[in-house]
Amino acid sequence: MPTVTFLPGFQKVEVPKGDSILSAARKAGLPVNVVCGGIGKCGKCVMFLKSGRTEFDNQRYEEFFTAEELHNGACLACRTYVIDDCQVFVPEQTLIQSQQILIDTLGHTVDLNPSVWKYHLQLKPPTLDNPISDLDRLLDGVHDAGGPVDKRIYAPLELLRRIPSVTRESGWNVTATIALVPGGYRLIHIEKGDTRKKMYGAAVDLGTTTIVVFLRDLTTGQVLGVTSNYNRQISCGEDILSRVNYGKLGGFPKLQALAAESINAAIQTAANAAGVDIDDIYEVVIAGNTIMTHILMGIDPSYMIHEPYVPVVRRALSTSASRIGLSVRPNGGIFIFPAVSDFIGGDIIADILASGMTGSSDISLMIDIGTNYEVVLGNNDWIFACAGAAGPALEGGEVLFGMRANPGAIEKVSIDPATLEPTFSTINNSNPLGICGSGLIDILAELLKACVIDRNGRINTAIPHPRIRPGPYYPEYVLVWKEKAGINKDIVITENDIKNLIMSKASTLAACTVLMNVAGITRTDIKTIYFAGGFGNYINKDHATTIGLIPEVSIDQIKNLGNGAAEGANMALLDRKKRKLLNEIAEKIGYIELNATPSFMDEYTRSAFLPHTDLSLFPTVERALQQCRIRVVNP
Amino acid sequence: MNYILPHTWSGSIQTVTIGATKQEGGTRSVSYEIGGDTDLPFMNRSGKKPLLAYEICDDTAIWPQVVRDAMPKGISDPASWAAYGEKTLKPDCIRLNLTSTRKPNSSDFASISATVQSVLAATTLPLIIEGSADPAVDSEVYIRCGEAGQGERLVLGTAEADRYRSVAAAAMAYDHIIIAQTPIDVNLAKQLNILLRETGIPDNRIIIDPYTGALGYGFEYTYSTMERIRFAALKGDDDLAMPMISAPADSLTVKEIRESDSPSEIAVSWERATAVASAIAGAAILVVRHPGTVLPLRTAIDALWEGSRREVSDGA
Repeated sequence: MPTVTFLPGFQKVEVPKGDSILSAARKAGLPVNVVCGGIGKCGKCVMFLKSGRTEFDNQRYEEFFTAEELHNGACLACRTYVIDDCQVFVPEQTLIQSQQILIDTLGHTVDLNPSVWKYHLQLKPPTLDNPISDLDRLLDGVHDAGGPVDKRIYAPLELLRRIPSVTRESGWNVTATIALVPGGYRLIHIEKGDTRKKMYGAAVDLGTTTIVVFLRDLTTGQVLGVTSNYNRQISCGEDILSRVNYGKLGGFPKLQALAAESINAAIQTAANAAGVDIDDIYEVVIAGNTIMTHILMGIDPSYMIHEPYVPVVRRALSTSASRIGLSVRPNGGIFIFPAVSDFIGGDIIADILASGMTGSSDISLMIDIGTNYEVVLGNNDWIFACAGAAGPALEGGEVLFGMRANPGAIEKVSIDPATLEPTFSTINNSNPLGICGSGLIDILAELLKACVIDRNGRINTAIPHPRIRPGPYYPEYVLVWKEKAGINKDIVITENDIKNLIMSKASTLAACTVLMNVAGITRTDIKTIYFAGGFGNYINKDHATTIGLIPEVSIDQIKNLGNGAAEGANMALLDRKKRKLLNEIAEKIGYIELNATPSFMDEYTRSAFLPHTDLSLFPTVERALQQCRIRVVNP
Repeated sequence: MNYILPHTWSGSIQTVTIGATKQEGGTRSVSYEIGGDTDLPFMNRSGKKPLLAYEICDDTAIWPQVVRDAMPKGISDPASWAAYGEKTLKPDCIRLNLTSTRKPNSSDFASISATVQSVLAATTLPLIIEGSADPAVDSEVYIRCGEAGQGERLVLGTAEADRYRSVAAAAMAYDHIIIAQTPIDVNLAKQLNILLRETGIPDNRIIIDPYTGALGYGFEYTYSTMERIRFAALKGDDDLAMPMISAPADSLTVKEIRESDSPSEIAVSWERATAVASAIAGAAILVVRHPGTVLPLRTAIDALWEGSRREVSDGA
């Protein structure tokens, strides 16, 4: 079999002839950035063939490369097939890098009311006069210590096997751990001596891209550590659909294992840093989208991606850690947030819980934007929700120089309307490599205000300026000249990129409008707009309103929820009463299927304009744009 | 029966003047004020009759076969064609379609000026010009048209959402009217009008072309879009309060005509029926290509507006 050597790390792997370089890279453990799932569409898995023979149709994929890159052996790893031994250079930007992840949360207070308890017991040894069984003796002790009555406590076999030795070896001085489970209680551990202080729990935000874990002391409620890492399923496809498709070809067990592995790794890192034994973690609360939680629970989600999009289960789920491969206390409880539909999952329920929007009669609009968006509108009386595809543009996909929020991504941009010269900042102040979502929104708003683009997003190529040029395929605006960029190219934004961005924003705004119409309210009825997810923290809210990503409200009415999914999971971990609220929220939500809403396309077309076809819906933006126009026309 | 339907509309359609007489600084024998409507067509029989435009071109290569077959003999150039049209068919205006600019790499801009001048000399009717549809040549073509027709208040087409700047610039520089065409969608129509206004075109210089699908092949979408545009305007949406133009050229290439034993008659019926339907939906200008359509369409429109039903019969 041919050997593929990856530079600069010299990782070597053997693969069968005809395998793609991408599968070799995955075998070598390289985290390759594959947005499209490896079908030659995104152009992100760029590598350079240094020696050896491979097969790659460089004419077909020439749009992704400069002539110089092609000359240097550039290829797309997913579309390059190994013939002989070869050496391949992997540029840094081809690999998934450490990402800026939001981990701080709102300062909500919750009661410490977890669903696990530890009882320290000094039991009387059995005698001929008092010959009751070891288990009854233990559970009687629990009841005497204030715990539930023994009949309601289930004791699993593996613990029964431990009871005789642990009790006797400790001189009947033990700690029993009891958890509240559906339908009763469960004995989940028995230890020698007093271990009441060692009781920990984890709250997990299981995202398609990233996983965030909060490790908490369940006796004090304190946060002991927060870690996040990539969802390792990314190597099986970037977006959720490509993962389900991967799963349908027999890959679900692997996806399940990768999800569990990713959570385990994050928990382990947090536990190590805090000096906690992962065996002392008794409870894990997980909020994730519906497909993610199905996969983690080992439930086939394939039917959910086809009409009529029915999930296998909506209600909150409980199981024990060992059954889904989580490496905490094997009998530890796992609580999975309920879902509403295929696309409104536990993460959104967690967002709603965290926002507190169901606790008041004021109407709130909550938006979670990623490749897909979820929009929730409501108050304590009613809630409507919908979900749709925004496309990857707002996360940097389908944009020529788009990238994730990694070091080197241009995240903030302003453009001088008189000189058309940009000012920008990058993440970590590294040399600019590309543009991430927040930067793209800035560019769109600033180009609009500078009248470089019209409300359709067309670049006015009649403006005589070196930064505005026809471009090889589409007109473009040069944001960073090659000399100042961290890559050997001018970083530009093309009219096509702008078109993709407008489609993404139009879809999001149209979804908001559809919900507002269903509820019979207008933008002035909205008290607060919440941005859930990391996106909201980084974007310029003024610019998001200028381009019409969200309905116009005053800027101080827009709030960042931050990582609402993690926040909600934390609340449910600390206070079991919140879990009851979750099912109530989930049941109250009226899910609006946008595909079945005829007015959605009309609203979409109306929204595919900057900021919107009906300018009267954006009065403040309009006044500002008029000022800009006057300034540009009469500088 | 004569009764007035009550309504509470506040808006009205902009008036747009096309063509310029000697007093108005041009050389046309007549100019027209279109628009001004305050309700739906026929609702209270208050609307103006639509204008009929006869369309000619400067290169018949892409002209529908059925129209080419019906062309009278002896027409060798757009000027003589325009003169024939005015004299024989008596339309209200002539539309000159510069089909020569649709050829790949067309660059004979001098002949465009000459063609426009010759047609203006050959007819005294207001002139509508359909120019190029290629950003590479648009600017040059529209400047030539605008320049050649300076003072004549031409109607210049067509501005579309992805290429409107050239035609807008020419219309502004030489004081012409502009046609704004969008693909059968009320929102896109509104968007293009906003874009045009932002280039500096006043609202009373814009005519909306909602795009006319052929009857039986999507015309119902056109009809409902025209209705929505008119309703929006009457309800006070200034961005849509412009008169509409309808050019049912797609009607001349439908399968029923191609497969017919008597294509010319079918073509006339189809084009006329589509145009009449557009008129009922509120079009202010109807553009037809088949020479046989103009007179029966006139009869039909007159009958509709004057209520004399007996004149409406096929081929009258």
